[in-house]
Amino acid sequence: MRLSKSRSAQMEMIGLVIIVILISLGMLFAAQFALKENPQKKIFTRKGLSYSTMSALMKTTVYEPGCEGDFKSSLNPQIGKDLLEDCARNKGFIQDNGFSLYRCRNQHTCIFLREFISEMLNETLGGWNKNYEFTSELIQAESDVPQPLFEKIVGSHGGCYKKERDSSGLFPIHTESGLVQSQLLLCD
Amino acid sequence: MKKKNLCPRKRKGQMQMTETIAVLFIFFILILFGIMFYYKYQGVAFKEKQEELLGARAMDTTLKVLFLPEISCTKGEAEPEDNCFDMMKLRHANETFKKYITKYYFNLFSYSRIYVQEVYPEQTQYILYDKEIPFLEDGTKGWEKKEPTFFTVTLKDESKSAIIPHYGFGYVVVEVYS
Repeated sequence: MRLSKSRSAQMEMIGLVIIVILISLGMLFAAQFALKENPQKKIFTRKGLSYSTMSALMKTTVYEPGCEGDFKSSLNPQIGKDLLEDCARNKGFIQDNGFSLYRCRNQHTCIFLREFISEMLNETLGGWNKNYEFTSELIQAESDVPQPLFEKIVGSHGGCYKKERDSSGLFPIHTESGLVQSQLLLCD
Repeated sequence: MKKKNLCPRKRKGQMQMTETIAVLFIFFILILFGIMFYYKYQGVAFKEKQEELLGARAMDTTLKVLFLPEISCTKGEAEPEDNCFDMMKLRHANETFKKYITKYYFNLFSYSRIYVQEVYPEQTQYILYDKEIPFLEDGTKGWEKKEPTFFTVTLKDESKSAIIPHYGFGYVVVEVYS
């Protein structure tokens, strides 16, 4: 009687061990799925693309009616060098489409910049179904709080909320009004 | 008297046998499920690995294109500009690529399609390299998947102004076939 009882207990133990092994195997598989790394290409593309888009945007020369400004010669302005500076200097006159040195598309430079950058980003990143956010801020000596030059540009597929994201890094420009910092966030 | 004693024992043995068979049956079913799951998983993992390899090839090809001296913005011995293509080179690059496709460029880009799309100020497309996997003997196309990689670039044009170079906005698309 005792012998049969101990054998039955042994059998139960073996059963338990098998169940534990099966559960561990299942857990291992689940962990493998959960801890799967992001594909390298995805990260490379996101990081490289945000930086390259930003550097290309900053260098872009604008050919729009009215962009020659007060200059008599036909010098077309660059976004990073001329237009952002003009926007920072004349930010105070943005209301009612007020004064700015350049009058691209007959608009205040800040208004034009937001429109133009939105178009460029929408044709590239937007066309590839990417989520993005573009910000340009002015940091002045008198105030610690950065002031946005224009409203944040958010992609048509949405911005970056609690998602994997990469930044182009800050693109600083020194102007008479202060430091202008632009940044592009790209996310999946 | 003996018969009466044997009957419940036999029945008990039969019950235990049935129980063991049932347990074994369930156990083997579980094993079968495990094998099926593992087989499916292996199939998916293989496909994923293939995609990963294709992605890596697309990445390599993109990097090669971005730093290609035939189209990048260089000035003498100075450092080439980041993510920049020279329009004057770009307009004629296709001829060079076509001329040396088998001798040189196929070893660099293998089966792929590379083109630059100008977004601003114009909307011109420049096809640099196009080599598709040849059709199979039965007439079906030789590739199953195409992995595109996009990269934004600046397009430097020195022909527009003698003083300051003009910069356009565009992107390069590298599609690799497998």
